[in-house]
Amino acid sequence: MNCEEVEELIGAYALGALPAEALSEIGEHLVTCEKHPEAADLGAVASSLAFAAPDAEPSPTLKTRLMKAIEAEAARPPAAPGRAGWLGRLRGMVRQPALPYALAGALAIAVAALIATNLPDSGDEREFVTFAGAGDIRGRLDLRGDDIVVMEISGLDPLDEDQTYQLWGIGADEAESLGLLGTAPEGKALGAVRADSSEIDALAVSIEPAGGSVAPTSEPVLQALLPDR
Amino acid sequence: MEVLYDRLGRQAFGLAYRILGDGPSAEDVVQEAFLTLWRQAERVDSTRGKLSSFVLTLVHHKAIDALRAKRGQLARQISSELEQIERVGADVSERVLQSASRDEVRAALAAVPDDQRRTIEMAYYAGLTHVQIAEALELPLGTVKSRLRLGLEKMRAALKTGFGDELRRS
Repeated sequence: MNCEEVEELIGAYALGALPAEALSEIGEHLVTCEKHPEAADLGAVASSLAFAAPDAEPSPTLKTRLMKAIEAEAARPPAAPGRAGWLGRLRGMVRQPALPYALAGALAIAVAALIATNLPDSGDEREFVTFAGAGDIRGRLDLRGDDIVVMEISGLDPLDEDQTYQLWGIGADEAESLGLLGTAPEGKALGAVRADSSEIDALAVSIEPAGGSVAPTSEPVLQALLPDR
Repeated sequence: MEVLYDRLGRQAFGLAYRILGDGPSAEDVVQEAFLTLWRQAERVDSTRGKLSSFVLTLVHHKAIDALRAKRGQLARQISSELEQIERVGADVSERVLQSASRDEVRAALAAVPDDQRRTIEMAYYAGLTHVQIAEALELPLGTVKSRLRLGLEKMRAALKTGFGDELRRS
């Protein structure tokens, strides 16, 4: 999608009023193109519409139901395989960068974590990291000096339309969404995101409900520690 | 969580009801949003914006999800707003959301010409794409694209006027 097409759709994009593919294309365009400074403003204005709806009174039972649901969840044993589990394990690996291979094996993560290999590019500041996930999943990260991270993945299982692959940047304290990678209809995904890679220790890809999640809700299909920078 | 619900429950339910138009569905969405917030509490970065912004954004996403599920549509693009917040305009978004009062946002929306406001509301509160809006209003697609953009720009101008120098510096 070129700049002219993006400009034409910028209002619809800000409001999310486009098919997922177009949203993704424009999102990718915006992180690498500085010719659309109004995009952020319009997105902000669209977001503010959440405040324009009038208050309304829910039934008194809603609060009771909510509190009971929370109590019920709080009472459950902290079980664990899941999101917090793999995030915790990945963070553990991040904190001990000297032992990534040993830890990856010992932790028996659902997918192969890292056979990360640095492939320095000649000449510029770009850095490539290759890695493998479960089965045939292979990926390559292009860590550019301008904080653009380009991720190419192959061997993914195509997802149904109600799911999406989502890319996460794992820092010291949290997993931050770096964007949606779509359903990989041909088993491939390509994402370009702007990320301050010095603040991200690892990347992960998980399968999420269509539209993405605020935080990972499933075990990653792929994860990779970034090299020390 | 009880305190948060007492503070934001009516606002959250109002937004969900505005989108879904029926009480039981709106209550389900609000309950699910607060439960999500409770489950993900450790991952909510309070330094990145008001909690009310986060809660209402979550309610909007879930309500649009539910609406599209009701219509039998695939709910794929509803994260765009979150993506915008996270990937494109995080800082500005949060400044706007923090700075604008509800009255200012309502006044800015009310100041938008009727035809533009209608398309904006169909996109944001009904979760329709620009193509669906064009079909519903029997308008050329280009007209809908223009109205969405012009309407948002008018809102932006009104909000900037309201905020004065703060937003201009951002």
